[in-house]
Amino acid sequence: MNTVIIDGLSFALPLFIMAIGGIYSEKSGVTNLALEGLQGFGAFTGALAAVLVAGNFAGNSSVPFYIAMLFAVIGGTVFSLIHALLCIRFRANMVISGVVINILAMALTSFLTKQINAAVFGAASDKFVLGVSNRITVPGISAIPVLGAVFTNVYPFEIVIVIVAVIAWFVMYKTKFGLHLRACGDNPHAVDAAGIEVGRVRLAAVMVSGALSGLGGICFAYSISANFSNAIYVGYGYLAIAALIFGNWKILPTLGACLLFGFARSGGYRIVQLLAMPSSYQDLVMILPYALTLFLLIFFSKHNRSPRALGVIYDKGAR
Amino acid sequence: MSEYEYIVEMRHITKRFPGIVANDDVTVRIRKGEIFALLGENGAGKSTLMSMLFGMYEPDEGEIWIRGEKVKITSPNHATRLNIGMVHQHFKLVSNYTIAENIIMGMEPVKKALGIFPMVDIKKANRDIRELSVRYGLEVEPEDVIENINVSTQQRVEILKMLYREAEILIFDEPTAVLTPQEIEFLLDIIRGLREDGKTIILITHKLEEIKQVADRCAILNRGKLIDVLDVATTSTRKMANLMVGREVNFQTGKKDAEFGEVVLDVQNLTVKNRDHFEVVKNVSFQVHAGEIFAIAGVSGNGQVEIADAIAGLAKASGGKIVLNGKDITQDSIRERSLQGISYIPEDRQNVGLVMDFSLSENLGLKNYHREPFSHRGILNKKEFDDYADRLIGEYDIRSSQGSRTVVRSMSGGNQQKAIIAREIEQENPLMIFVQPTRGLDIGAIENIHRQMIGERDKGRAVLLISLELDEIMNCADTIGVIYNGQIQKIADAKTLTTNEVGEFMMGVRQHG
Amino acid sequence: MIKTALGNPRTQNVTIPLFAILIALLVGAVVLLALGKNPLGAYYNLLQGSGLAPKESYAGHKSMLTDFMSFLSYLTPMIFAALAVAVALRSGLFNIGVSGQMLAAGFVASITVGYSALPAPLAKPLVVLIGLIAGAAVGGIIGFLKYRFNINEVVSSIMLNYILQYVCSFFINTSFVNPVSRQSQPVSAASRLTLVDTVVGDLKMDIPLGILMALAAVALVKFLLDRTKFGYEMKAVGFSNSASRYAGIHVGKNIVMTMILSGALAGLAGVTYYVGYFGSIQPRTLCDTGFDAIAVSLLGNSNPVGIIFSSFLITLIDKGSTYMSSAAGVQAEIADVITGVILLFCACTAYIKYRVARAEEKEENQ
Repeated sequence: MNTVIIDGLSFALPLFIMAIGGIYSEKSGVTNLALEGLQGFGAFTGALAAVLVAGNFAGNSSVPFYIAMLFAVIGGTVFSLIHALLCIRFRANMVISGVVINILAMALTSFLTKQINAAVFGAASDKFVLGVSNRITVPGISAIPVLGAVFTNVYPFEIVIVIVAVIAWFVMYKTKFGLHLRACGDNPHAVDAAGIEVGRVRLAAVMVSGALSGLGGICFAYSISANFSNAIYVGYGYLAIAALIFGNWKILPTLGACLLFGFARSGGYRIVQLLAMPSSYQDLVMILPYALTLFLLIFFSKHNRSPRALGVIYDKGAR
Repeated sequence: MSEYEYIVEMRHITKRFPGIVANDDVTVRIRKGEIFALLGENGAGKSTLMSMLFGMYEPDEGEIWIRGEKVKITSPNHATRLNIGMVHQHFKLVSNYTIAENIIMGMEPVKKALGIFPMVDIKKANRDIRELSVRYGLEVEPEDVIENINVSTQQRVEILKMLYREAEILIFDEPTAVLTPQEIEFLLDIIRGLREDGKTIILITHKLEEIKQVADRCAILNRGKLIDVLDVATTSTRKMANLMVGREVNFQTGKKDAEFGEVVLDVQNLTVKNRDHFEVVKNVSFQVHAGEIFAIAGVSGNGQVEIADAIAGLAKASGGKIVLNGKDITQDSIRERSLQGISYIPEDRQNVGLVMDFSLSENLGLKNYHREPFSHRGILNKKEFDDYADRLIGEYDIRSSQGSRTVVRSMSGGNQQKAIIAREIEQENPLMIFVQPTRGLDIGAIENIHRQMIGERDKGRAVLLISLELDEIMNCADTIGVIYNGQIQKIADAKTLTTNEVGEFMMGVRQHG
Repeated sequence: MIKTALGNPRTQNVTIPLFAILIALLVGAVVLLALGKNPLGAYYNLLQGSGLAPKESYAGHKSMLTDFMSFLSYLTPMIFAALAVAVALRSGLFNIGVSGQMLAAGFVASITVGYSALPAPLAKPLVVLIGLIAGAAVGGIIGFLKYRFNINEVVSSIMLNYILQYVCSFFINTSFVNPVSRQSQPVSAASRLTLVDTVVGDLKMDIPLGILMALAAVALVKFLLDRTKFGYEMKAVGFSNSASRYAGIHVGKNIVMTMILSGALAGLAGVTYYVGYFGSIQPRTLCDTGFDAIAVSLLGNSNPVGIIFSSFLITLIDKGSTYMSSAAGVQAEIADVITGVILLFCACTAYIKYRVARAEEKEENQ
């Protein structure tokens, strides 16, 4: 049971932070299918920073990990500018732009990973090896049955994510910026009439989605895969989008959706283990989050309402 | 502060858009504390002129002076700083926000959470808005959500938005278009009250009675040119009308008495639910005969569009029956109903009536493409499409840059509507539904559509007209049904009802009888 | 000059993609130069790798023609896949699930016919038929989910992509795996849609039967889209759901039909890829063709004839990159980057059209 909670959380939280990024972007009216590419690119820049500085620190130091997080956030933000540019300035179809960015991110990162490995490290490799981040157990609380698992073997990034998520929630629902952002997704003309630049708000929103996706990406790289390679592109970004759709574009319900995915996944693995099934049965477990998504979408899609101006290019002239 | 004679001066303003000159050397001067009206038909350039004062466009030529100083107004923000406010014809409100949130947006009161984090002080906002609304007699409940309040309350929110920003020069763009006669009275009272408070008011309208009632002076525009500036008190309505249109206008639509035939449409206890499973049409019954124009009057959003959609099959009836020529069509598909004799000119011509990115010829074939001779065994006959389009273009005088090949999106609103009406009339169906057929069109086009509508009636067709324009209904209808809150309040011969009575039923003030 | 070239609305559909390609090639050239490689040489390698230019030397029984045949064999699924994307796009649907539909078709055709002893005259048509049905079924599900439950087709096709990927992987790993290659067992020669190692003169080449089917499909799809009632309805639905409904078109049915057609084309892409070009399936991966097809379709303006040219180009870059990598010593992934940049600029097509239109309006006003 404890492993299910521990592993479930460490999967759900990075997913959640990406989904929050998606909510920011979509609540401002910019459809964002680019989360997948953004998390991959963020993970790439983060991992690159980590392997470049790794030599300067002791093997068990956690400093490279924090540097990686910082650069992942920067990388994700910078890459998200392309999406912002295409969707806000260049009036591109937002769905197409998202897909293009995912394809481009995948091509660029795998090219650069190989190129940098060859040029800097003199090795023909398509991955940056990171290792798994160390874990913390909170003494005392962790001894509580069931609930204690939440505080056992916690990745440091989980704490970072919780803090960032709380801030993101506050900004979204309690501040001026949040008020403007959510209005942009409903009626951008009203925002413009109030003297606020719609383009700027949307730009900021897309950049937040890039930053948070980058953060999510590097967390996956430091936990599940323990390295950066093309294997980072296994659809976490799309899962995050599915989560935010269940969550009806609201932060708290989206957390619920992410936890559901996380526990479905870790629970599935646990069952394969308990029943001592051969490893090929893991493929069936991998299906779980996706099948669950599809299944739940059947119930939720009809009732959920996407932001009214989602995917609509804002044209000042049109009334 | 420098002395000035006029609070607003727009000197020799010229503004061009692709293909038209919207304003041609227009000069208007407005005094502080007066109600100044801008009168003109649709497309005369009134809104464009005021959009420049509000900073939405910049003039190509000419100067704007505010309070005796020359200014270049670059954005609505800038206009707000100059204490200019505007209520747009289409309200700019965030539908899922509260009234207070809408009003404060852009000028939020802020407090510090835990002493450090700046957050919107929504309690203060609610208090401020309540105070403001009481002060100006525009009472609203600050915590109500926009999508749950009616149009006239939304308009109050727009006015409060300007007042919250301490606007001194208030521009109203066609403020009465969506209101009932009684609501219009109330609005005009508010406008007078604002003048008492020392505000300067600019009223854009094409309704002469309103100008006569409240305005001090009035500028008349025609096709982008300033015709004259008049003192309202000393000028007759007829003179203003003639100047506005540029020729003698005929206020009455020449119309023979109706000769009713058989019942064509029989709506029995119709109930329609919207997406949120809320009953928007409740137990509505009425009949339309051949040779009759039956008009449904009502304030926007009272279920009239849903009635039209339900008859045409675009909305599902959750209860009741729709009978066409004696046959129950309640369960039939849209296509089946269309083939059995329903023509439908929908309210939203751009999203519903036309495929905007189709060519004119493809759009004219929208109801015929699936049958001979337009297609044969699933294969289209392009030549038939083009020949048919060319015939309709000629007969209905549909103007476009490249004939039948023109992409409809590039055509003017009036010609788009002509195309829809041509297509629907040519179906030669016994029932024609017109929803808001003249919205946004100029007087010439309006007269033309009214003539066509009456012509169809005289051919023995049943016409169902749904309009928000009470004038239109009073002019064209043989029978009037008034709807309020999804229920028919009154059905009567048009000749027995006055405009004011209809207005009272529209507000639900008068009950059946 | 650029403005005159891009300005004419009638030729924009050709000039803008050409412009995108040019920019992408320039970007690629800059990267190659920065790496100290000769870009022209590298691009020439792409042609050589695709059998469009002669290499310096060939192994036994190989020549430019055999390379070209192999290129055609790889091109075939790309044309089908791009048609699948284009057909869906016509109704305003974004079929990003082509890869999953391809896999489903390839997998079902492999285990039913590929591993059977059926003779070629029976096996080959059967493979095509099964691929068609399997792809159409997956496409149909996506369309149905959208029609019945309002599920965005992008999300549902991505979910189905992953589900199919792992389901096929599970069955391959448990029942059909080749222990040496770690791929699925190769299908029988009789079932393959590419005639492998056929001796022609002193050459041994792979002759793709599918390419003729692909060209026929292009003509058929073009006719369907431009000249038929169904094509008219698809276009109407793609432009405006509400107006189509008003016109009496059953929008939901149209969406399902379109996705069935799109899926069927993707299915043909799948069988020509897995049972034609490769002959086996690698578990836990989706092929790039289905995603590159989006690029191809955009580049070809979703026009069936345009797709022939754009798939030719993208396949050339992709297929040639392996040879370029070994001959010029650059990472093959640079090809994907170039494709990505082409896509990026194609995504801006609407903007270029908009700017040009605006510029013209301004001129008219002067």
